[in-house]
Amino acid sequence: MSSYNGRLIRLNLTTGKSQVEEIPQKWMKDYLGGRGIGVRYLYEELKPGVEPLSPDNKVILMMGPLGATTAMSVSRMALVTKSPLTGAVAKSIMGGSFGAFLKFAGYDGIIVEGESAKPVYLHIDKDGIHLLDAAELWGLDTQQTQQKLREKHGKSTQVACIGPAGEKLVRYAVLISDLRVGGRTGVGAVLGAKKIKGFAVNSSGPLSLHDADGFKKLTREIIEGLKTSPGRINMSDFGTSYLTLGFEKVGIFPVKNFQEGHLEDVEKIGDEALASIKTKNDGCYGCMTKCGQVRQVTGGTYDGAVSEGPDYETIWSLGGNLANTDKDSLIAADSLCDRLGIDTVSAGNTIGFAYELYQRGIITKKDTDGLELNWGDAAAMMALLEKIGSREGFGKLLGEGTKRAAEQIGKGAEDYAIQVKGLELPGYEPRAVKGYGLVFATSNIGAQHMYGRPRDELSGKKDRLTEVDKGKDIAVAESSQATQDAVIQCSFTPAVGFNAQQRSELLVMATGFKEFADPAYVEKIGERILCLERCFNVRDGFDRKDDTLPKRMLTEPLANAGPATGQVVKNLDGLLDEYYDALGYTRQGIPSEAKLKELGLDWVVADIEKFNK
Amino acid sequence: MSVRLKLPPILQEFSGGVETLEVSGRTVAECLEELEAQFPGIKEVLLDRQGKLLRAFGVYLNNDGLHPVELDTPVQGGDEIVILNFLMGG
Repeated sequence: MSSYNGRLIRLNLTTGKSQVEEIPQKWMKDYLGGRGIGVRYLYEELKPGVEPLSPDNKVILMMGPLGATTAMSVSRMALVTKSPLTGAVAKSIMGGSFGAFLKFAGYDGIIVEGESAKPVYLHIDKDGIHLLDAAELWGLDTQQTQQKLREKHGKSTQVACIGPAGEKLVRYAVLISDLRVGGRTGVGAVLGAKKIKGFAVNSSGPLSLHDADGFKKLTREIIEGLKTSPGRINMSDFGTSYLTLGFEKVGIFPVKNFQEGHLEDVEKIGDEALASIKTKNDGCYGCMTKCGQVRQVTGGTYDGAVSEGPDYETIWSLGGNLANTDKDSLIAADSLCDRLGIDTVSAGNTIGFAYELYQRGIITKKDTDGLELNWGDAAAMMALLEKIGSREGFGKLLGEGTKRAAEQIGKGAEDYAIQVKGLELPGYEPRAVKGYGLVFATSNIGAQHMYGRPRDELSGKKDRLTEVDKGKDIAVAESSQATQDAVIQCSFTPAVGFNAQQRSELLVMATGFKEFADPAYVEKIGERILCLERCFNVRDGFDRKDDTLPKRMLTEPLANAGPATGQVVKNLDGLLDEYYDALGYTRQGIPSEAKLKELGLDWVVADIEKFNK
Repeated sequence: MSVRLKLPPILQEFSGGVETLEVSGRTVAECLEELEAQFPGIKEVLLDRQGKLLRAFGVYLNNDGLHPVELDTPVQGGDEIVILNFLMGG
């Protein structure tokens, strides 16, 4: 008995056929699951040069070995594809319950390939796998779509779907399940290009485990220990909103498209203010924390708006980044993004980019469909979100993301596009946490805070402003995150969940694979995943030149940011050298032959060796 | 009454690198007042405008976490207050 089903659904949208395939057991042991097995398939099946929005791209939805069990915060789902924003490998981890029920149905994942001639959706139940017409769903928002599919297939149906933004190929469109989001890197657009509206599953548990009694005992112990954890209680009571005020005090919270680090009246969008309109908690399958904060606006311009959130990132992207302290507008904007199916981080960052271009006179009302884009103007933000979601007027350009939009605008707009490899930065100021600067620069998916976290710098154990002796820490952080994304373990669990030893014990009891008993073996899997992702990018021409930061971070002293005021990233080259050395990459950022062999990636050597000459 | 107060590194940026100091007071709040007296401006980082501790910080009194943090919690001579920061998010 094992928590792995050991099989997945391969759905070819060009032919309309699906088949069930075995997942090689060696891949489970070498890559665990989730992001790991997803990247293994992507590398194997995508040739270099594939256009992300073409039928040749694939989207892989993959669960982890602990998913759908009673363990804490492990039933999330990995989405892996080639990103239409970056042209690089893409991964996103989605919460909710859809993945758990996919496992209950008997499948660890779905590979979506080809392109349908007409809109379709996939329905999975005890009678089989059905590709159904989605003409009635096309054009509906994500909540309407989920409601329609529940009306058709039953109230307990679990759904993951795209919204109008995915259909219209907004490059940062997402996949949504309930109000949980996956796809910072534009997976929703890839699904939209394939004309698949979503996935619905009807199933029930439980899952078989290798040692069900032992698993139950350990998970109970872990949960007991967590009940009084201050960190977990904070997450339950406030979600990540509790970070905003602390980050703003120390210059980590970027304001006005990263022009400064201070937001006047930040308390208006702080944890207490948002908690005042909280109605309930919501969360993922198998999580006692339920960090989702459902909030509702009563009265005023946005009367009745409800969202699960905003979390810290969205408080930043649609709040502080735009100098917007209207909390009600944050609820409305978060809800609008979820319904349209767009990533709030890239959306807010892109709107901040537009506001700054307007501030500097690089664009005017002639370019913005008559809108005035002034810092703090929530109404303009809402109008732009609508335009982006429908790709109308100025929104069509912004739906391309900051990198492409800047290239089209010209006139120096590139200097204000705060992105790496085409992915917009999240709400962490790299000049105030230099380790995060290195993560954003080296991340194989572009600037993403969940690619690896400089925990020692954020917790204060290590000086956050120095620029030496950090490459190894970040290499470990990124590898460790890759392991978490393969398990798939919520990123909050190392602090408010279970530790590496407990994780190994859970993995063995769930799967029966003795190899997982060694935490070092499990951690090494993350390094292998990280390396394979880099090799995927190397085949497409990525190297050191792409591991960089926006010009602003490298040249412009950070303003008004408490103890981080005046900071710039001066030694990125030195940090990159440290990072490459720690991972066994060449100084060009390409994995060496020796490292590939050490990680058991011998079969990749022939693909990569020509780039090392 | 002398109480030992330990600051997390992020607050040491405001205390000139001082990690541990002796303060006096009958409550956690009074100890923080003395911290402010020694390092003017540091309280502004720890507290919001209503004088409540920001949730990015946690306070431990003799290894017991105070949650929610009640700043009027009594302290005694020889006690140790440790301030930690929870700076991680998604």
